[in-house]
Amino acid sequence: MSEQVEIIEKKLIPSEATMLIGLPDVGLVGLIATSYLITELKLEEIAYMDSDLLPPVVVLHKGLPHAPLRIYGNQNLIAVISELAVPVPAIYSVMREIVDWGEAKKVKRIVAMGGIPVESRQTIAEPQVFGAASNQELLDTLDKKGLKILNEGYIVGPQALSMRYSLSKKVPAMAILSQSFYNYPDPEAAAMVLKEFSRIFEIKVDVSKLREKGEEIRLKARDIMKRTQQEMKRMKKDQEYDLPLYV
Amino acid sequence: MSEKQEKRSIFDAMNEYLEEFEKWATEIMAPAFSEGPNWNTETCCLHALSSVFVTPREVIVTADLPSIKPETLKVEAIDENTIEITAKMKKKVRFTDLGIYHRQGEFSSLSCQDRIHVAFNVEKMKISWKGGILEVRFPRKKRYQLKVE
Repeated sequence: MSEQVEIIEKKLIPSEATMLIGLPDVGLVGLIATSYLITELKLEEIAYMDSDLLPPVVVLHKGLPHAPLRIYGNQNLIAVISELAVPVPAIYSVMREIVDWGEAKKVKRIVAMGGIPVESRQTIAEPQVFGAASNQELLDTLDKKGLKILNEGYIVGPQALSMRYSLSKKVPAMAILSQSFYNYPDPEAAAMVLKEFSRIFEIKVDVSKLREKGEEIRLKARDIMKRTQQEMKRMKKDQEYDLPLYV
Repeated sequence: MSEKQEKRSIFDAMNEYLEEFEKWATEIMAPAFSEGPNWNTETCCLHALSSVFVTPREVIVTADLPSIKPETLKVEAIDENTIEITAKMKKKVRFTDLGIYHRQGEFSSLSCQDRIHVAFNVEKMKISWKGGILEVRFPRKKRYQLKVE
């Protein structure tokens, strides 16, 4: 566990749970999807992250201060969200601590939800969802469940680190990614990702309310999207557009 | 012109260039380091998210404009390098609607200003609007073709 980053537990953490990670990234897809899931399933706050690497920020909800990076959960699910764009210099330590902590809590698997930026997003009525996994067995499971596989390409950012660190820890990990806007909040893409997650893991989540609140979410999410844009630029997120050379 | 005068002119020209460059660099960096809110209670305006793409033939400006009345959309050139997009919202949004009681104000429109660093033709712009995203395409003004020998 990193000394610079610490996860402080508030309640008993279940083991053998599925850990979801939804940090601010393209289209805020992961963050919107994970936040919605937390609300719909009424998950409780079970832990939070403390670190001097993160900006000096608390979030006030109903007058009480909360750490911007928090962890919610129930018996089967652990969900990690952040209400601030994680600064690039901190992202390595933050993701390493999340994966280390997940391993210590014996999570069954780590699932990162997010977006795949596509330039022509506004012409796409129903974004497609793709998956990637850290081992062949998990990939075959996703394939059998009907999820299209992200065959070749680059993943940059929190999802990439989650896969990378999970691979070295031998914790099963996957990414569920929807085609999305790069720079604009994309609740529709978040709904698609959640729909697939719900179908694959048989966790009932009604995404219709997420779709209905789409415009409201886009309006409210402008500021966090703007800050996330700055961090995405720093981490050279646009490498996801590159054509890969596989040797 | 004497040699001394010539030398002074070159230094003057260099100084002028450096001042222009500094001004341009400040303008470019200002959005990256802007401090202050993304809203304006005087103009009752929320700042919209927008992006500018420059291709060899055109400049494409997109803006995310949720909850607006499309018939109120306006795209205007403020000067030869800046365009402004504004639109009225379907419903006013107050700070209190967002659970914020320590500020006063309400917002009735979304707007953004984008600086474009190439020459473009604002009269020939093409506008499309889909799913709350505005796309404006401006053809570029100057285009040079190099002879290939």
